[in-house]
Amino acid sequence: MTLINKHFVCVGLITLLLPIAWGADQKTNQAVDRLAKEVQGKGWIVYGARSENGSWDLFACRPDGSQKRNLTNTPDSEEGAPRFSPDNSKLLYRRMERGATIDHDKWGFQGESIVAEKDASNPVAVGKDGEYPWASWSPDGSQIACLTKKGIQIVDLATKEIVREIPRQGIYQQFFWSPDGKWFCGVANHLGESWTVVRMNAETGELNPLRKFQNCTPDWFPDSMRIIFSSRPAGQKVNDGYGYTQLWMVDGDGSNARLIYGEEEYHIYGGALSPDGQYVVFTKGLKDGSGAEKAGAPIAIMRLSDAPSIGGESKELRGIHPQTKDGPVLVLSDGWEPCWTYAEIGNAK
Amino acid sequence: MNLRADRKSTVFSSAILTAVVVSGLLLTSCSQTNETGEDEKVTALGSLEVTAELSEIRGEFVDRADYDYAFVMKYRMLQVHRGDLSAETLYVGHYNPLKPRDRVADARVPEVGGNLKRFRVGDVHRMALEAPIDEYYMGGIINRYFGEETGPIYWAIWTNLASKPKP
Repeated sequence: MTLINKHFVCVGLITLLLPIAWGADQKTNQAVDRLAKEVQGKGWIVYGARSENGSWDLFACRPDGSQKRNLTNTPDSEEGAPRFSPDNSKLLYRRMERGATIDHDKWGFQGESIVAEKDASNPVAVGKDGEYPWASWSPDGSQIACLTKKGIQIVDLATKEIVREIPRQGIYQQFFWSPDGKWFCGVANHLGESWTVVRMNAETGELNPLRKFQNCTPDWFPDSMRIIFSSRPAGQKVNDGYGYTQLWMVDGDGSNARLIYGEEEYHIYGGALSPDGQYVVFTKGLKDGSGAEKAGAPIAIMRLSDAPSIGGESKELRGIHPQTKDGPVLVLSDGWEPCWTYAEIGNAK
Repeated sequence: MNLRADRKSTVFSSAILTAVVVSGLLLTSCSQTNETGEDEKVTALGSLEVTAELSEIRGEFVDRADYDYAFVMKYRMLQVHRGDLSAETLYVGHYNPLKPRDRVADARVPEVGGNLKRFRVGDVHRMALEAPIDEYYMGGIINRYFGEETGPIYWAIWTNLASKPKP
């Protein structure tokens, strides 16, 4: 083939492929637009993010990313990890002194536990710095469950009295009470394996492993029957064998573990469900660890019915999960530990 | 004038030399452990104090700056200094074992320390311990002896390098 012929073949191929690629992009953009319209009126996402003054504040935005506003606006402190009470009337979050670096594994031990109105107004410290670690709401919002070295403590919010104590059985971080009050989930050392996501019966203390090896940040589905968590499965060759962290779900008895979302080049953390369980919100960061130490990572939303979905080229991951649906993923602004409510949260500062 | 200046200079040089030698000796004595590994921390912290030989480090340490963990190591007991302990083999969890003990304490685990620079099989350590590990440390534990150990996993609070106790 002469050089001129080769040139014509190349130009021809580009002319043919460009519209196909453009068409695919258009289709993806339209699907993302449809998702944005679908979720636009479905309440608010509240999350921690860096504000203009450089500190971490609590922000709220509509699930399509619009109407973003700073809820706390406190340059003298760092705030993050907000959680709505089950009746959506209050927020529980952590507040640290200005300059503290939020640690993605230790944030539950850091700073004070704060209870505020759903729009983050009237913040009240539940205890002193470091007290009430990993505080999480009870189903009726009158108590919090805390994870301490000595065990799990159920604390009455009004009196601050410890009403019950349960051995923690190796659970050491990212600890949450189920919406129905029957279970706890967390990350544990279990049968010699660290980074195991476990479920504990809140009444009997009986514990069952959900997934072993390199798992963390578990949280409950609204039905209390399933758990969403991050996992970096073994055997990945990508990223020099380190692999990428993916978003998974599993039934409460440990069965039916399945991929929700993965994308090579990104680590997926902060997985949470919309109040009706129809949508998933998470963060996708280039660096492992959710970006809490810096400025968070892009917050993203997808439909649960589109799981499993894989983003980007992700050759290895697509080989393992050929059934991927590749549903639309709506990317919002940067943040950390997003939480979703369908309630209206009023005006912000 | 010149002579006085020379004398001053000689005295000054001698003083500096002496200071360097003395501080060098002091530094050496601080960085090297005494034979028994005894200091005011190891004899006071924790409810147990032992001298033991590190007999096995099973597998590799995890070399990841962004993950903190305790790593369980196997020891042969040589001497009990404090506390009630009769086991011949000890399983001890050390926090972030790749860090020198004098730089290992952090916000999560502020109480740990010692003069040990690195863990080497065959070395003898004088340690202040607590047990079980779960009551004193809340974090990831890499325990490659799970199912083999029969007693508690000990938590190393203070770890100094020592020599084998003389019989």
